Amino acid sequence: MKKTTNRRPTRSRTIIGSTVLLGLALLPAGCGKRETSAPGSDLGAPAAVQTIGVSFETLQTEFWVAALKAFETELARRNIRMLQAVADGDANRQIEQVRNFITRKVDGIIMVPKDARACIPVIKAANAANIPIVMFNRPAAESDARSVAVVADNFTLARDTVAFLVAQARKAGGQHKALHLIGDLGDINAIGRRDGFDAAVSNATDVIEVVARVPTEWNNEKAYAGVVNALQKHPDIRLIFTPSDLHLPAIASALRNAGKWHKRGEPGHVLLAGFDGDATAYQMLVDGYLDATGVQDVFFEVEASIQAVLDARAGKALPATILDRGFVIHAGNLQEKAPRMWGAKK
Amino acid sequence: MNPERQRLAMRALDVAPLVLFAVVLAGFGALSPSFLLPANLLNVLVQSSATVIVATGMTFVLLTAGVDLSVGAIMFVAAAVSGKLLLAQGWNPWLVVAGIIALGGVCGWLNGLLIARLGLIAFIATLGTQYVGRGFGMWLTETRAMNLPETFTRLASNRLAGVPGPVLVAALVVLAAHLVLQRTPLGRQIYAIGQDAVAARKAGVNVRSTLRGVYVLCGLCAGLGGAVALAQIGSVAPTFGANKEFAAIAAAVLGGTSLFGGRGRVWPGTVFGAVLIQGIENGLNHLNADPYLYPLITSGIIFLAVLLDSGRGQLQRTLGRRRIRPD
Repeated sequence: MKKTTNRRPTRSRTIIGSTVLLGLALLPAGCGKRETSAPGSDLGAPAAVQTIGVSFETLQTEFWVAALKAFETELARRNIRMLQAVADGDANRQIEQVRNFITRKVDGIIMVPKDARACIPVIKAANAANIPIVMFNRPAAESDARSVAVVADNFTLARDTVAFLVAQARKAGGQHKALHLIGDLGDINAIGRRDGFDAAVSNATDVIEVVARVPTEWNNEKAYAGVVNALQKHPDIRLIFTPSDLHLPAIASALRNAGKWHKRGEPGHVLLAGFDGDATAYQMLVDGYLDATGVQDVFFEVEASIQAVLDARAGKALPATILDRGFVIHAGNLQEKAPRMWGAKK
Repeated sequence: MNPERQRLAMRALDVAPLVLFAVVLAGFGALSPSFLLPANLLNVLVQSSATVIVATGMTFVLLTAGVDLSVGAIMFVAAAVSGKLLLAQGWNPWLVVAGIIALGGVCGWLNGLLIARLGLIAFIATLGTQYVGRGFGMWLTETRAMNLPETFTRLASNRLAGVPGPVLVAALVVLAAHLVLQRTPLGRQIYAIGQDAVAARKAGVNVRSTLRGVYVLCGLCAGLGGAVALAQIGSVAPTFGANKEFAAIAAAVLGGTSLFGGRGRVWPGTVFGAVLIQGIENGLNHLNADPYLYPLITSGIIFLAVLLDSGRGQLQRTLGRRRIRPD
């Protein structure tokens, strides 16, 4: 008779298992807990600013990775030591990490806040410790806490990008049915881009009719399903705007399956524009499938953030918000603008 | 309430999820006639096929009173590895699909090891592997999107006798799962473990090995579901598979699977649940609804379905109670 071996697991096994699992979990994902220092010599650093703590909410998009690399490069160039922390999307963890920067008496803090409100106490803590703090790419909610926000002008950039698309629609002639993808409704950047789209098309009702609005929650599967559904309902859609280049491959796949994947100038081409300026967008511009994208100038935002810390340390007055105007890139200015497009960098 | 009335109420609650499903479809159909066109209904099936497959695996796990929070991460890891194999190594797409499924199985085996062998709580163990998986996938992709070649994405647009590939794959998975759960000793053992693991062990069921098998199965389904979704989207992004575990759990629970184990079916329950979730999204797209209404309507319908299921559970307990005093 076969012996049954369903013994209860021993306590020690459970403890060993838990420890191993916890260790594994903290290994790659736990970059949230980990803080690393980028290379940077203290020798040439300005006397007032030797160390800056940089806290990212997540590295889950290419944009954040490009920004982090730009910080490493720029801070190393200025001989400033960088402490970095990534919170893996956890607002509480991020607050702990920034408090840790304050305890270590860094000379400045640059933070991509996970939550516009949750970061306010930590901004106040930095204020109390007299450490300048800069919000990178996402502003904090309004309060009496003092910080400088370096943010893309999402509204204007989205409006200008869509205005370019509208001009192309006018050139092509006829009424264009439009599909508008909307990002995460809880993200202030997504809202700015949505409003920018609305502002651009509100003046172009003679050529644009928005027939579908699809919230994507920054999720490609939702974006893909939304585009397929919209094309099912309105096979004559001729214009698509996505608030992030992240969704471009999903849109391409949906258009390809619907037999609508054509280059600029070819019959049946669907006017397509994005936002961000990532590597996929650059390649699609080069290949002729994308009409335009609004590029967030990562390099400007990084330089402005670091400069804001230096200026605050030097006692200079700073505005509450420094705007990155970005730029619209399209086939007509690709050669000229590509060097400032972060997605075009190898 | 007399027993006859209770039985009638029970029967009504049994069919309530299906009635809800029909009401939702009819409602969207009335508001937007194009919603009920055969092409669109097929479209809903294609879009829900990945969730159906993942939720099928999740149903097995839930039936044992467990949970697997790592399925979305497994999808991402499998997608990241397949992206590398397709783009850097130039592997044959079919070989890559086999690799994705196998990788899912390995991840499921790891979960099984942690839960059945080391005795970790399923919630904690799979939360841990979710972190590990996401971290590993991010490291592998360096947070860059990988756009897959058409040789791979064509797999999703293939049809057999007019049936889209993803729907066919999902149907085969559901059929196999249904047969296993309803017609085999393994299926009965899974239900028994979910009802009472100690009693099942005393009755001679090898609880550990069954649990291991269930998590492997769930991993295989996650891998396959990932392959189906990936072939449709054609790109590996860092958010691929994000929150898929919640969609899979919601589909199973909507279909009547109990979170406490021992009760539920893949067919029709989980399948209807998954199709209902996708149908709601599709219907809202067709109506061009206000984006702010999406979460409200989706969660409202899910809440209603869970409420009906809870009512059914309560009534079931009432019917099962011994009556001491005659009416």
